[in-house]
Amino acid sequence: MAAVSIRQIKKTYPGTGLTILKGIDLTIPDGSLTVLVGPSGCGKSTLLRTLAGLEKPDSGEVRIGDRDVTTLEPRDRDIAMVFQSYALYPHLTVRENLAFGLKLRGTPQADIDARIAEVAPQLKLDELLERLPRALSGGQRQRVAMGRAIVRRPSLFLFDEPLSNLDAALRGEVRVEIRRLHEKLGATMVYVTHDQVEAMTLADQLVVLNGGVIEQAGPPLEVYGKPKTRFVASFLGMPPMNFIDATIEGRVARAPGLSVQLPKSFDVRDVTIGIRPQDVRPNEEAALDLRFELVEGLGFESHVHGRLGDDGAPFIARLEGDEGRKIPKWGKLGLSVSPTDVHVFDRATGRALS
Amino acid sequence: MRHALALLVLLVTWFSAARASAGQVVVWHAYREAEERALDKLLDEFRAAHPGAVVESLAVPYGAYASKLEAAIPHGHGPDVFIDAHERLADFRDRGLVAPLPLSVIDRTAFDEKLLPPLELDGKLYALPIALKCLGLYLRGDATPASLDALPSLAYEAANAYAHAPLLHAFGGKMIEGDRYAFADGPAEQSLSWVAAAVAKGKIPEEASEALILQMFSAGTVNAAISGPWFAADLPRDLAYRVVPIPPVTPGGNKPRPFLTIEGAMLAPKPRDPELAGELLKFLVAPSSAIVRAREGRQVVATRAAWTDAAVASDPFLRGFADAAAEAIPMPTSVAMRAAWEPTTRAIQKVLRGDVTPRAAMAEAARRYADVTRPLPPRADPRFALFLVGLIALFGAFAAVRAARDPQFVREVKGSVSAYAYVTHAVIVVTLLVGVPLIIGAATSFFAGRSGDLHYVGLANYWDILRARGGPLLASGSFYAVLAVTILWTVCNVVLHLVIGVALALLLSRPALRLRGIYRVLLIVPWAVPSYVSALAWKGMFHRQLGAVNAVLRAIGVEPVAWFSKFATAFAANVATNVWLGFPFMMVVTLGALAAVPREVLEAAEVDGATKWQRFWLVTFPLLRPTLAPAVVLGAVWTFNMFNVVFLVSGGEPDGRTEILVSEAYRWAFNRQAQYGYASAYAVLIFLLLVLATRLLRAQKAAA
Ligand SMILES: Nc1ncnc2c1ncn2[C@@H]1O[C@H](COP(=O)(O)OP(=O)(O)OP(=O)(O)O)[C@@H](O)[C@H]1O
Ligand SMILES: [Mg+2]
Repeated sequence: MAAVSIRQIKKTYPGTGLTILKGIDLTIPDGSLTVLVGPSGCGKSTLLRTLAGLEKPDSGEVRIGDRDVTTLEPRDRDIAMVFQSYALYPHLTVRENLAFGLKLRGTPQADIDARIAEVAPQLKLDELLERLPRALSGGQRQRVAMGRAIVRRPSLFLFDEPLSNLDAALRGEVRVEIRRLHEKLGATMVYVTHDQVEAMTLADQLVVLNGGVIEQAGPPLEVYGKPKTRFVASFLGMPPMNFIDATIEGRVARAPGLSVQLPKSFDVRDVTIGIRPQDVRPNEEAALDLRFELVEGLGFESHVHGRLGDDGAPFIARLEGDEGRKIPKWGKLGLSVSPTDVHVFDRATGRALS
Repeated sequence: MRHALALLVLLVTWFSAARASAGQVVVWHAYREAEERALDKLLDEFRAAHPGAVVESLAVPYGAYASKLEAAIPHGHGPDVFIDAHERLADFRDRGLVAPLPLSVIDRTAFDEKLLPPLELDGKLYALPIALKCLGLYLRGDATPASLDALPSLAYEAANAYAHAPLLHAFGGKMIEGDRYAFADGPAEQSLSWVAAAVAKGKIPEEASEALILQMFSAGTVNAAISGPWFAADLPRDLAYRVVPIPPVTPGGNKPRPFLTIEGAMLAPKPRDPELAGELLKFLVAPSSAIVRAREGRQVVATRAAWTDAAVASDPFLRGFADAAAEAIPMPTSVAMRAAWEPTTRAIQKVLRGDVTPRAAMAEAARRYADVTRPLPPRADPRFALFLVGLIALFGAFAAVRAARDPQFVREVKGSVSAYAYVTHAVIVVTLLVGVPLIIGAATSFFAGRSGDLHYVGLANYWDILRARGGPLLASGSFYAVLAVTILWTVCNVVLHLVIGVALALLLSRPALRLRGIYRVLLIVPWAVPSYVSALAWKGMFHRQLGAVNAVLRAIGVEPVAWFSKFATAFAANVATNVWLGFPFMMVVTLGALAAVPREVLEAAEVDGATKWQRFWLVTFPLLRPTLAPAVVLGAVWTFNMFNVVFLVSGGEPDGRTEILVSEAYRWAFNRQAQYGYASAYAVLIFLLLVLATRLLRAQKAAA
């Protein structure tokens, strides 16, 4: 087990001239599960592959434990990686797939057998050991890929979207399984995903990447509750946060169809305020005046889509149960929001103001 | 109906028109350049003299001449008159390709009396002599040497039996004596020793080919060369040279008499218009025509009267060859003579390379000669075979009848008639192009004798092959020895193809490699060049004195190697050539297969701790295997039957030991008495071996 520290990593793929990682600084505590999220193409895989040693950074330093591994080959880094495509060896049986890395390291056969015997039941692979990968289902392959990493007992696990090829139900199941494994092994893990449910549920530390820079890193609830940038705020939460351009007058932010109290006063006038759909409540006081357009009812909750005022910003409100259905079309809905739930961002820089 | 009738009438008239080709004569020849121009000019004159007659001429490439004649004449679309060397007359007569000349065209007094007997068979004249071809001595400068010993240097194809013959005759030897192989006595030994000594002294270049001699003589590296009239056509126009008969070995010694080939005008049986054909024959040898042929075609003409023409008589080139021809010995046309070339040439080669003493080489040659001319297997009783064929046919018929009675089968056939219609043309084409030749080839293997005079011998050909014609089983040239070489050849090649092809493909598939596209194209080039062109180029590169390979060796201080004098080096030269030809295929196949190896799997192995080599050996290679396996089987079959390289590069040297099964079969069919039955048996055995090998491979794969 080991902590990982990344200092000022920069990476440009040769021939493209595009800088993919623009100076990443990150500390991954020993035994933690760190999740990297971000939109497609933001450099998550690149960062992970840099940790693995499959890509060499242009500058910067990667340390695993107390070793500087920046220039080491992957095989000298004592890491294991689970790929999105699983990357099982097609010509080897499940058992041989599991044993592959151990054999290469010269582990005695008895030891290999013991480790496989230990890992296989955990991942429900006992019955499949003699099969070839092509005779396995997607979920089974995924478990073999996990098993291949686990038997190695590396000091660092790397996962690159390991669940994205599974169906929704299986994904939920395996997600829980991974969390359980992490708890049991106590290993340091870095996990890449673009699924925010996975990110929120799995992470000890959540890292939001955008365009090759870290927007925010911290415990998931903190990142969710106190997003440092408009990007982070928009990226986490479902339905996404509402953003309304507003002007501040004293401790009140105003915009067409909106007039909300702020927790404190700000010295900037032009801001964007953010309100999560679930933080509003129907209320006659009507700090927000929502012109109803349509409703998505999910049974246990409903999402009401509309605009603020006559032609103000679009807005989504989440209501408990079936309430939204009762609103007449083109009707009005008054909403209130607690001042502490209002996020204020600098309109120009997108940074949170506090 | 009316249309059909009209068509019939049309066909009938067309056929009868084609049949009744009165006033038509077709001439075939193998002439090129000046000789062809002279002949064309004469034919124009003939046309002018016979208005209304159709005179057609066709130049057939020399290599294909005999087989074309054989294919065309019996079916009535061959020539009426054709020109060819007298050596082939007996053969042509046996195959019914020539007819005796009518007395009306013969004027024996027009030619030297020595020229007519070689053109006679059983007392009948079969050809009118057109031109004479034999070896002479080409000289630069004015001095005429009194003897070969007096020459400082001399270029000729020393290792060739035809070119050696004058020397042999000078020492009083003979190639054959009646039916006996006579290259086995003291004079033969003396002739061999003389040449070997001259080569050792550097007076005569070793491994000299016609092209090399031409080059040396043109460049003045040598001032004397022995060759025939054909040599002059390729000499530089402004080169001053003379031709004289080959002088004796020592002053005043025996005349070295070369073999004489008499080109004759021959008459096909059943000419379209016998009278016109006769006219043409007479015209071709008439003095005026002969003068044209001599002056413009540079032919040493046989018509005596032509030499009264001042221009002809004073031409030093024609004069020289005429003098040489006067002393030459007409080439015997017997079976024995034809069988003698290969063993004799081999013996001379061996001696010149210094491998063996002349005596041992001659003994070996005699053995080879006996081997090739061994009596044909006796006639066998074909009844059993016929019975077997009949039985199979009967069973077939029986099965067909049963199927036809089966209503289910009939229904199925009726249901898929349209499907059968779609594949009919393919079935017909495959049957004609593959099936029929295969069956004919296989059937031939049960016969022996010359074509036209085949007799059924049962399995005697196979029996002969399999017990090495009675000799020791592993003697050089026996089936088993050749098979062993073939297997070694196949294994060496396929392994090298695979290793080099895969290695290059791996290099080429590295994304970091610059100019990948260019390398890829360059590496595929050997595949795109016709294989015989590459093979000839490689043969040139392995030449002992002038080859690039030895030049490189010399540059790095290694003694030049006589590549074709030892089995190991000759075999290596063949393998090098074939590897050059064959690796691009494996490379292209591997490149395709590599593209299908997922990058992430290799990365997984990298993370799992595999070194570069382990990644290749434990991951990439196993993933390539399913694609490479069929390519290897294909490559093995191609290599097993790679005729071009063996035939062109080593040509079986040394001493037939680098021959593989196909090239050996070729030799039996085309170099040794046209033993087609024997060669077919070889071919059938090759086929069976390959079928067996692929079967075994497949069974092994299924088991794995
Ligand atoms: N081998 C490569 N060569 C050149 N550019 C690359 C290479 N690999 C990735 N990129 C580029 O780098 C950027 C980041 O890629 P990366 O794979 O890290 O994205 P990601 O965050 O993992 O996205 P996703 O969620 O879609 O997997 C992309 O713009 C991509 O086009
Ligand atoms: Mg990715």
